[in-house]
Amino acid sequence: MPATPALSYEAQRRRFTRMAIAPSLLFLLLVAGLPTAFLLVTSLTPGSLVNPGSLTDFREPLANYQNLVTDKRFHETLWVQARLSLYTVVLQVLLGTGMALLVHSGQDRWQSLRHLFVIPMVLPPIVVAVIWKLIYTPDISPIFHTAKALGFMLPAFTSHADFALAAIVVADTWEWAPFTYLMVLAALQNLPGEYVEAARMDGANALRVFQHIVLPYIAPVLMVCTLFRLIDSIKAFPLIFLITGGGPGSVTEVTNYYAYLLAFNYGELGYSSAVTVVLLSITVVISWLAMRLNRNISHQD
Amino acid sequence: MSFTEPKDLSRRQLLRAAGATAATAGAVMAFPAIAQSKKFGGVKLRGAAYQHGFFNHLKKYIPEFEAATGITVDLQLSAFPVYNQQADLELSSGGSAWDFCNVTFIFAARWVAAGLLQDLDTFSRDTKYTPASWSPDDFVKGAQLPYMDAAGKTYGYAWEGGAMLMGISRMDLMKKYNLKPPTTFEELGKVAEAMHGKDDMAGFVSSNLHHWYLPPYMQGFGGDVFANPPGDITPTLTTSAAVEAVDFYTRLLSKYSPQGVLSYTEDQARAALIGGRANINIHSSSWVTSMLTAPESKVKETALVMRMPAGPKGDFPASNSQGLGIPKNAKNKEAAWEFIKWALSPEITTRIVKDTGHSSICRRAVISGADHKRVNTINGQDLSKLYLEVLEQPGKTRNYMAYRTVKEFPVVSDVLNKAVERVVSGQMKAAESMKVAQDAAVDALRRTGARV
Amino acid sequence: MTTTRYKRPGHVAAWAVPLLLFVMLLPFLWLLQMSFKPTPMILEFPPRLLFMPTVEHYVGLWQGGFPESFVNSLITSGVSTLMALVIGVPAAYALSRWSGRGRFGLGLSILLTRMAPPIAFTIPFFLAYRYLGLLDTRTGLILIYMTFNLPLVIWMMQPFFDAVPASLEEAALMDGAGFPTVFAEIVLPMVSAGIAATAILCFLYAWNDFFFALILTRTDARTAPVAVVNFMNYEGWEWGKIAAGGSLVMAPVLLFSLMVRRYLVSGLTAGAVKG
Repeated sequence: MPATPALSYEAQRRRFTRMAIAPSLLFLLLVAGLPTAFLLVTSLTPGSLVNPGSLTDFREPLANYQNLVTDKRFHETLWVQARLSLYTVVLQVLLGTGMALLVHSGQDRWQSLRHLFVIPMVLPPIVVAVIWKLIYTPDISPIFHTAKALGFMLPAFTSHADFALAAIVVADTWEWAPFTYLMVLAALQNLPGEYVEAARMDGANALRVFQHIVLPYIAPVLMVCTLFRLIDSIKAFPLIFLITGGGPGSVTEVTNYYAYLLAFNYGELGYSSAVTVVLLSITVVISWLAMRLNRNISHQD
Repeated sequence: MSFTEPKDLSRRQLLRAAGATAATAGAVMAFPAIAQSKKFGGVKLRGAAYQHGFFNHLKKYIPEFEAATGITVDLQLSAFPVYNQQADLELSSGGSAWDFCNVTFIFAARWVAAGLLQDLDTFSRDTKYTPASWSPDDFVKGAQLPYMDAAGKTYGYAWEGGAMLMGISRMDLMKKYNLKPPTTFEELGKVAEAMHGKDDMAGFVSSNLHHWYLPPYMQGFGGDVFANPPGDITPTLTTSAAVEAVDFYTRLLSKYSPQGVLSYTEDQARAALIGGRANINIHSSSWVTSMLTAPESKVKETALVMRMPAGPKGDFPASNSQGLGIPKNAKNKEAAWEFIKWALSPEITTRIVKDTGHSSICRRAVISGADHKRVNTINGQDLSKLYLEVLEQPGKTRNYMAYRTVKEFPVVSDVLNKAVERVVSGQMKAAESMKVAQDAAVDALRRTGARV
Repeated sequence: MTTTRYKRPGHVAAWAVPLLLFVMLLPFLWLLQMSFKPTPMILEFPPRLLFMPTVEHYVGLWQGGFPESFVNSLITSGVSTLMALVIGVPAAYALSRWSGRGRFGLGLSILLTRMAPPIAFTIPFFLAYRYLGLLDTRTGLILIYMTFNLPLVIWMMQPFFDAVPASLEEAALMDGAGFPTVFAEIVLPMVSAGIAATAILCFLYAWNDFFFALILTRTDARTAPVAVVNFMNYEGWEWGKIAAGGSLVMAPVLLFSLMVRRYLVSGLTAGAVKG
């Protein structure tokens, strides 16, 4: 009786999978779903910690969002965020890819060293922030002393309007380039050697090989990297918290940091929730894109 | 008949006398405890403050308190910004994790107005809890102002006074170039300019707390932060006086200060001053007098501490204080008061001044006492007198520090910081930056429900 | 399929790789050496390359409340990883074998939880914890760490389970074994590499968290990353101690990551590339 056992396997499997996933779903609903709903609700109130009762004041539910439309500081943060994300993602991907290509081409000899490149990525972000804060402090940083010894004065990057954001971008790129590096390196290791050899035998030089063989092969990986890093760049906090505090002025104040100030320095929980909802919506859209792309790529394989 | 015998005798006499004094002092100190005979035995107090020399000194005496009262004290110290954020959250959310805590001056008004602290008059003026000899009125008025509400009730007692003074590190160079210490804003500008670059030194130095440094200039030029605090809190950041003040202060920062001054912490500014890398710093006495008192100071012989310059419209040196208070929902309020009473008692205060030289305390009797004067007369400069003068200034003229007592001040202080940063980093000119600041301040105040 | 490397014509300088590595790691190495330098030498320039190392900063750390924060970090990271694995591995399996339609939607929601900015959760959690008395407790941190560890486990383990053919299970089932047994004794061992990699990543993310710990703890449950920031003293940035603190905080995760470096690559790529 071949049909019956198959059905019962299916039924068994279905029951098992349902039991297996239930705790997770329940838990996630509790610790993630509920808070998100709560966040949405709070964004409809003028909630403030020092005003008891303000957290359940629904008289003007859209007041926060209306304020957002006219809040120039909020618009500034969106603009800063966009620039930060653009620069860091592009630079990380470029640097990471370059590192991967270099290490891959020297494969045999430096086998043991290649894993050390991931160090910046696994360090606690706050430690990375400490390192770069020290690097950017004129009193103590070798960079400034060297410049002085060579005869020219470097501006203090983190208090200079033009360079503060660049300073954050450099630190962030240093920290996360290994992410792309790891991905691209793994992809390169799976690149079928026959294609390269065939192209070589046709007389292509390194650049042509890269352009026409390697790049198309790693393109999907680069795409995924970009999207993942884009989403993560929205969460940038420790670097800005420690190195510039959003300044000078507001040139490094990203939306995430503004929401933090609103909630935990000014106590304006309601307004901060509204800002966070906007941020979350952006994250949702990009994540959806990332998943769609991922699915398309895996379908193509 | 040894030559030393008489000395030995008198030494023994001295020791005996000292012992007797110590016993008496100890008895006086233990008086409240004896009176209550360990009724708080077994209570565990939890307190929080930020890392400061005062608490390091206090911690050495705490075992005596614990022995006398049976209370165990767990005092947690954190870094200043970390403490402030956590304290603000803790108090705003009505927490009861702490029995006593530091009432930071920037937040004092907010916490007092929001009713987050215990009214301490119920303890300090009730002889059941506090003997009259503790004299709550002994605390310098200027230092106590931030902890009092409109009705005059007290929510904190000051342990630290900040009197804004001017420190000049290289008087020798000033003399060499025939410069007199400045007494007006205009002179300050000239001196900073003249000294900048001499001997590899910056003419001026400051740190990133512009909301503290700027208002004296605003008021000195005839303006203020708010229209008529604490009643009318419309920000007045675009008046010509305010703009002139920002213009002046930012010029000092951008032209005559060390590179990167915008990101300087107070400690970095102090380091520059006592290392002779900057000539003038205007800040609280405990920061500025370190030129004369810090062991690593290189300018001990050439430093001068004096009153900061006055503006064309008056002399308004800022003063602040830090206080100890009891959160509204604390679990062990009476025991907490025992601790505060002890820590800020005349006896402990005097001991701290005498034993450690730490002198930014707030009891007038102690400040006017011989020990304080002795400890604070350095290189012939009577710092004691200067300190007291500045702390009492708001009481004498008008309460020009009232802007500090506005509970929404933290929001406006952030606005002021950013305004100064924008000008110094070259993004905007003073007038434009203050216009942006005014808009932001009004917006933020409106969001908190204030009517402006 | 031969995985020949595609070689560039040899002389991309033989030493380019270690040189690049050195340059890239300079900031990290600089912090490390600063933690062993006596304080007066730290501000010296030109920086002394050869000096008598001192452990005074590390000793000073050990006396300043740092060990407690270390323990807190260990406990919160370890327990949240364990719980995430216990609940999440079966869920990943379930998702992998899911025949129903909601797979994309489910996957997206799980991804979102991982990708949302921390502040989205901190505000509601802060208010809830205040009410429940979970502020400044390790339990509170463990719970909130699950918001990103659990989705991470599910997201990472799913591809590993995808790679285990269903036919293997069916073969065992035909022999009369129950599903739980099949899962535990046949499927799990096949994905042990994935579990190891995922566990390390979970621990790493939990250990490195700064934002949640900053907002939701005071002094009892303070974790190591927040303790490092606490050295930004009102009366002085103790450079040596900060460097030592930073070095200590990164030590465990560095060690772990290098221990499982082989799995790190496969862990990340299995998760992202083969989604």
